Amino acid sequence: MSDNGSGKIGQFLQGEKEPSSSWVILVIGVVASLSFLVIYNILYPGQDLPVISSILPMFEGVFDSGIWFFILGAMIGAFAILGTILTEATIE
Amino acid sequence: MSEVLIMDTILSILVIFWILIFISYILMEKGLGVFGQIVRGLTMFMLEKVLGPGADLVEGRKGSGPMVWIIQGVLWLFLSSTLTFIGLWLAHDPTALHSLEAWGYHPVSSELFYAGKFAALFGCVGMFIIGTGLHILPNLLETNLASEKNAVLTSFVWTISVIILVIGSQNHYIGPVNVILLGTGLNSVVGVAVIANQLLTKASSNVQLATPGWLIIFGLIGNPIAVISLFLSGEYDTGLGQWLVYHLIGATFFFSSIAGISLYSASFGSGNALWSQTVAGVVIFGTLITINPLGNADPTMAIDMLGLTSSDLVATHQDNVAGSFLMALAIMPIIALSSNILITLRGTDVFVENPDSAGIPEINFGAWMLLPLGIAALFIQTDTLSGTNELSGISNILDLMTIWTIFIPLTMGAALQVLPSVSGRYPLSQNRARLAFWMLSAGALLGLSLTMMSDIADSVLLEALVEEPSTLSHTLRKAGSVIFYGTVLGAIFHSTNLFSGLYRGAKVSTGLNLSETTFAPTSYPLTSTTTIRKILASGAVLDTNVVPTFESNESGSPTLIHEEE
Repeated sequence: MSDNGSGKIGQFLQGEKEPSSSWVILVIGVVASLSFLVIYNILYPGQDLPVISSILPMFEGVFDSGIWFFILGAMIGAFAILGTILTEATIE
Repeated sequence: MSEVLIMDTILSILVIFWILIFISYILMEKGLGVFGQIVRGLTMFMLEKVLGPGADLVEGRKGSGPMVWIIQGVLWLFLSSTLTFIGLWLAHDPTALHSLEAWGYHPVSSELFYAGKFAALFGCVGMFIIGTGLHILPNLLETNLASEKNAVLTSFVWTISVIILVIGSQNHYIGPVNVILLGTGLNSVVGVAVIANQLLTKASSNVQLATPGWLIIFGLIGNPIAVISLFLSGEYDTGLGQWLVYHLIGATFFFSSIAGISLYSASFGSGNALWSQTVAGVVIFGTLITINPLGNADPTMAIDMLGLTSSDLVATHQDNVAGSFLMALAIMPIIALSSNILITLRGTDVFVENPDSAGIPEINFGAWMLLPLGIAALFIQTDTLSGTNELSGISNILDLMTIWTIFIPLTMGAALQVLPSVSGRYPLSQNRARLAFWMLSAGALLGLSLTMMSDIADSVLLEALVEEPSTLSHTLRKAGSVIFYGTVLGAIFHSTNLFSGLYRGAKVSTGLNLSETTFAPTSYPLTSTTTIRKILASGAVLDTNVVPTFESNESGSPTLIHEEE
C-alpha cells in the first residue's frame, strides 16, 4: 500500500465523535479508585482504610436508615435545580 | 318546618352557597350599574398603586404573572413529593430519622403527610391553577390581564403563606400564634387579589366567556363563598358543617378550577375543538349543585385553616340521605369531565393527538384516573357520613392518590401546555419531559397502590382483632415508599427541564418538530410493498411520514468507498 493510501486510511480511522474530556477523566477516576481498593485489600488484608476509616464512625447513628440514601438523592436533586437556575440565568 | 331546616345542616349550608353563587353570577354578567366604573377604578388602584414602591420591583411584562406562578409551582412539586415520600417511609420505619431529634425535631409520618398535602395542594396544585388561569382567562376573553405586576408580586406572598402552612403542619402554635391560621390569612389576602385581578380582566372585555373560563372563575370565587356560607349558616362548630365546607372548597377551588384549565389545555394542546360544550356545562352545573366526594374523610385541614374547634361528625337521617344523594350525583360531573378531556385529546380517532407534546400525557393520565378514584371516594365518604367508618383506614391514602394521580397530573399538564405560550420557549427536552411523566405517574400510582394494599391489610387485621403485625403489610408499605421515590425524581427532571427550557428551549415562534425529539424515525422510506406491521416494527410511530422511494432502472455498479480527489 502506498504512502498516499495509508494516509487516507489514517484519515478514515480518525474518530469524529470523541467523548468529552470530563467523561474520560470520570471513568479513569472510577476505575483507579476501584483498582486502589482491590490492591489495598490484597496488600493489607483486613486492615482499615487510612483517613476514611476514622471519618466514617463520626456518622454512626446518623445515617443508620436507608432513608438517608433517598434523602441524599433528593438533596442532590435540590442542588441540581438550584444549580440549573443559577447557571442558566448567568450563562453567556 | 323550622325543625326540618334546623336539622338539615347540609341543605341549609348548600342553599346559602347556591344563592351566593347565583348572585355572584348575576353581578358578573350584569355588572354593578353606575357603581361599576368606580369599583373598577378603585380595584385597579388597590391592585397596583396601593402596593407603592413594591409595584416598581417588577416590570409587569405580558405573561410574566402566569410564568412566575407556574415556576414556583414546579418548585413546590419537588418539595411536596419529598415530604410525602418521607411520610410514606416513616409509616413503616418510624425511627428512621431519630437522629434529627438531637436538633429538637421529631418527625412523625402523619405530620409529614400533612405538610406534604399543604405543599402539594396549595403550593403545587394551587399555584398551577392560579398561574394557568391568569393566562387562560385573558386569552379566552381576548384581552390582557388587568395587572401583571400584581400577579407577579402576589405569587411570592402566596409562596410565603404556603411555607407558613407547612411549618404550621409540624407545629400548630409558635408561642401564642396559630401558625396555620396565619398562613390561611395571608393566603386569603392573595386569593382576594387574584380574584380581583381576574374579575377586572373579565370586566374589561365584551367577549362571551367560554365554559372553561367560567369553571376557573367559579373555582376562584367558590372558595370564599363556601366559607361565608358556613359562617352565615352558623354550622361552623358542627362536625357536619366542617365536613361539608372541606368538600365545597375541594369542589370549587380544586375540582372546578382544575376542570377549567384541563379542558382548555386538552383542546389547546391537541389542536382539537372541545368535544362537547353541553358536557362542559354539566361539569359546571354538577360541580356547584352536588357535593364532590374527592378528598379525605377527615376534614382536619379545613378545620385547622379556618381556626375552628374540631367536632364529631354526627349526621341525622335527613343529612345522611341528602349528603349521600348529592355525592352520588357528583359522579356525573366527574364522568363528564373525564370523557370530555379524553375525547377532546383524541379528536376523530382513538389515538391521542400530539402524544409527545409535554403536558398531554399528564392530562390523559389524570383524566383516566378521575372515574375510579371518584367512585372509590364516594364509597369512603358515604361510609363516613353514615357513621359506619369501616373504610376510614384507607381514606388518607385515597386522598393522596387523588392529589398525586388526578390533581397534580392535570394541573401539571395544563402548566406544561401554558408555559411555552407565556415564556416564549418550549421545555428544553421533550424526551426528559416524557421520562419525568413516566417516573412521576408510575411512581405515584404504583407506590400509593401498594401502600393502599398495606392499609387495607391492616384494616382487615384490626377488624379481626389480630394483634400480630403483618409482615406482608410491612413489606408492601416499604416497597410502596421506595417506588414513590420515582415521583421525587420525576419532579426533579421536570424542574431542571423547565428551568433550562426558559433560557435554551426551542422558541415557540420557530415551532417544535416533535419527531426530532423522540426516538422514533421522522420518516420511513418505502422501497417496496410491505405490511404496516413491518413499518411499526422498524420503530415508526403514528406521526412518522411514509415516503415512497421509487426504483431506478439504471444499471448497478460497485459502491465507491473513497472518491478520488
